[in-house]
Amino acid sequence: MNTSASIPFSRMKGFMFFNDVLPRKSRLVLAPRAADPNAGKDSNVSDDEVQKQQRVMQQPPVSLSLDDVNPVGLGRRSRQLFDEVWRKFSGLGQISRTIRSDDQEALDALLVREGPMCEFAIPGAQNTTVLVVGATSRIGRIVVRKLMLRGYAVKALVRRADQEVVDLLPRSVEIVIGDVGDPTTVKAAVEGCNKIICCATARSAITGDLFRVDHRGVYNLTKAFQDHNNKLAQSRAGKSSKSKLLIAKFKSASSLHGWEVRQGTYFQDVLATKYDGGMDAKFEFTENEDAVFSGYVFNRGGYVELSKKLSLPLGYTLDRYEGLVLSVGGNGRSYLLILEAGPSADPSQSRLYFARISTKVGFCRVRVPFSLFRPVKPDDPVLDPFLVHTLTIRFEPRRQKPVEVNATTKQDLRSFKLILEYIKALPTGQETDFVLVSCSGQGIEPSRREQVLKAKRAGEDSLRRSGLGYTIVRPGPLQEEPGGQRALIFDQGNRISQGISCADVADICVKALHDTTARNKSFDVCYEYIAEDGRELYELVAHLPDKANNYLTPALSVLEKNT
Amino acid sequence: MALLKVPTPPVQWRCNVPPTTLAFPNSRSISAGRGKGREWNWRVKCSSSSSGAEIEKGAGNFGPGSPVRATNVLVVGATGTLGRQIVRRALDEGYDVRCLVRPRPAPADFLRDWGATVVNADLSKPETIPATLVGIHTVIDCATGRPEEPIKTVDWEGKVALIQCAKAMGIQKYVFYSIHNCDKHPEVPLMEIKYCTEKFLRDSGLNHIVIRLCGFMQGLIGQYAVPILEEKSVWGTDAPTRIAYMDTQDIARLTFITIRNEKLNGKLLTFAGPRAWTTQEVITLCERLAGQDANVTTVPVSILRFTRQLTRFFEWTSDVADRLAFSEVLSSDTVFSVPMAETYSLLGVESKDIVTLEKYLQDYFTNILKKLKDLKAQSKQTDIYF
Repeated sequence: MNTSASIPFSRMKGFMFFNDVLPRKSRLVLAPRAADPNAGKDSNVSDDEVQKQQRVMQQPPVSLSLDDVNPVGLGRRSRQLFDEVWRKFSGLGQISRTIRSDDQEALDALLVREGPMCEFAIPGAQNTTVLVVGATSRIGRIVVRKLMLRGYAVKALVRRADQEVVDLLPRSVEIVIGDVGDPTTVKAAVEGCNKIICCATARSAITGDLFRVDHRGVYNLTKAFQDHNNKLAQSRAGKSSKSKLLIAKFKSASSLHGWEVRQGTYFQDVLATKYDGGMDAKFEFTENEDAVFSGYVFNRGGYVELSKKLSLPLGYTLDRYEGLVLSVGGNGRSYLLILEAGPSADPSQSRLYFARISTKVGFCRVRVPFSLFRPVKPDDPVLDPFLVHTLTIRFEPRRQKPVEVNATTKQDLRSFKLILEYIKALPTGQETDFVLVSCSGQGIEPSRREQVLKAKRAGEDSLRRSGLGYTIVRPGPLQEEPGGQRALIFDQGNRISQGISCADVADICVKALHDTTARNKSFDVCYEYIAEDGRELYELVAHLPDKANNYLTPALSVLEKNT
Repeated sequence: MALLKVPTPPVQWRCNVPPTTLAFPNSRSISAGRGKGREWNWRVKCSSSSSGAEIEKGAGNFGPGSPVRATNVLVVGATGTLGRQIVRRALDEGYDVRCLVRPRPAPADFLRDWGATVVNADLSKPETIPATLVGIHTVIDCATGRPEEPIKTVDWEGKVALIQCAKAMGIQKYVFYSIHNCDKHPEVPLMEIKYCTEKFLRDSGLNHIVIRLCGFMQGLIGQYAVPILEEKSVWGTDAPTRIAYMDTQDIARLTFITIRNEKLNGKLLTFAGPRAWTTQEVITLCERLAGQDANVTTVPVSILRFTRQLTRFFEWTSDVADRLAFSEVLSSDTVFSVPMAETYSLLGVESKDIVTLEKYLQDYFTNILKKLKDLKAQSKQTDIYF
């Protein structure tokens, strides 16, 4: 095999041409084989070897010092040069190309891993740590992958870290072993997390399991997360922006101080007053340690109200909060919440804003976002929470609905009893902190549906009252198929009937993390369907998940907050 | 060209279910489909005249009554330019992705980081293939041999073995990426092989989809965009050939729409970008977007052809000749493009969602130039500190 004779010829063509190309016009000389330091090496038919055997000497045209003519150094340099040129040259004649490994690394970073050129990646996601609870569930698995593709740091709470689980999760996910039912392990899990996606569900429909995972589990997570936020805030010498602000807590007789009971009528009707039974109301601290506002209004157009001038702690204003949450009990009447807002120096400029709240028999928490308050005079501007100085709870017999507890006892809708536990302000925020995957109740075995839904709803409730920004997704029956294929329907009010793919639910969870319209919303979601006759009046919002559009924002913007 | 005379080997396959259970030599892949009802143990035998590979493997969990989930896909060639986008897209759409990669010292960690499962196998070693196919519904084959290795090993022998295994193990869909116009250029070995593979796949009786591609935008970055920014010399040809480059992310997206469309089984689709470009046009575009002139070295196609003709004379340079074979195509004024309107409507895709080369390169340059600016700003800051 006479290689040395043929190569120079085949290369010569190239060299003559390269000569014009090289940045420095240098004379290229073919090294004789004898001068090749690796001359003893066995010659091979492969092209790489052929290249290696070729040495192109490069001589600086003018200055010739002894250092420059080190043959090994020159040979090495010239070979690099030649390799480069040959690589580019041969690249032109090929269909597929290999990029050198160092180039590849730099390109990968931009095109595939974290750069803005790479699909799915979200800028700034590296700084967000998401805790995925139930990471091995059908939805959780996909959620974790989606988060990884978008560049988030992911923590996964799993119960056992055996090989099977570890194989299921991407390699760089931080695995935390624990159980949502156990507050201590949950505490460790939320450490350092910015957001939580919870798609855990009880493995059985046994009431104990349901209670532990779906109800207490969510409660433990919200509590641990709030504690963690508070701890972080304390280390910055402040209060967590995610914690609620206590406006009033009725736990002792002295806490009733400052609350005023008043009565009045909307209109003066001489004839009516004559026959009216009058009205009465009192606010007292009972032996059962309840603060009870009770009484009756028999007047037409009469009302009684409980009012207090708010005194917020120094440095707090309500504009950093987005609503009120009241923990109340009683006999299920509805009330008007009235906020008085205006410059505190000049009471004459105060404006009144009202929102109607309904309570249940027994205890419940009522969330009233400030956006729900309407001005009493329609021409007034919208409520500015910053200016609120007085809070009033008003009872009036108008527009009361009978409570369906016991049909036999006749209710007098003009009497009322309201037990007050606390009133707090809910912190405002842009994004959701906690995404909870609940269920719509479809597709659960009918015999267990009640129990499952009860536990799920209890979990949802504990999240809603936590003050965290929440998004509660209630998917229809889950299907294991690829996502993004069919239009989705977003709805509120238990009307959905279709299933949905796990991947679509996962996509909603991940999109909700940074979507301001998703904050503090609960919604049902399922595949698109044709509404039955008579039900098509409902406006159901269908959107097709796709690469180009963000379907979540328009879908959710029409849905109500804080439901 | 001996390669062209490779006969399409007849596929023979049979499987029978023996009463006795077999020991599974590979527990890793068996575990992928565990826990689903009865486990059927198959005895699969497949042979082909070309590879002569005799495969004897037990496989579980695809017997009747325990169907393989349609979300289980195997991506062959997952580390490549297209493969990695396929993997990302598949994971995002909720597929369970298994990647067949060659055993290598530096394992493909990024695939695992995204949540894919990585299995080691080598198409040139047929005995390693069957274990990777257990529990798989769809095989997406975007593998191509590296330019530096003999073209026949992976692209022909490996693929034949893979298709035979897929057939024998009851894979329900096989997606194969080919090259546009591959039937018209038998003189280019890679294109000829792709064309033969298409035929082989059709004859195998597998439920398959063939997707022919033109060119990747991602490849242009390393070839033109980076050198222009680094003010290095850019090599181009004066070939009149036009290629409709396409973003691999779009290819991946369309691929999965295609896979889910049962009407497209057995079809041949061609994906092309919105517009066909010559090398010169691409370089001009890059120059405009980068705001600087490129140091362009134009290699006449005639030189490429000459080099190829020359290297073909010698047995030991035949590999080089094979690799340069594309220059034959370059010298003709072929257009690598097809009108896509019909494909778009077939797939329900809108043409505005397909990235154009202008947009793609513009994104790249804005991002890079911004990064460079940031770096400069940082270095200025540090100057003050020093």
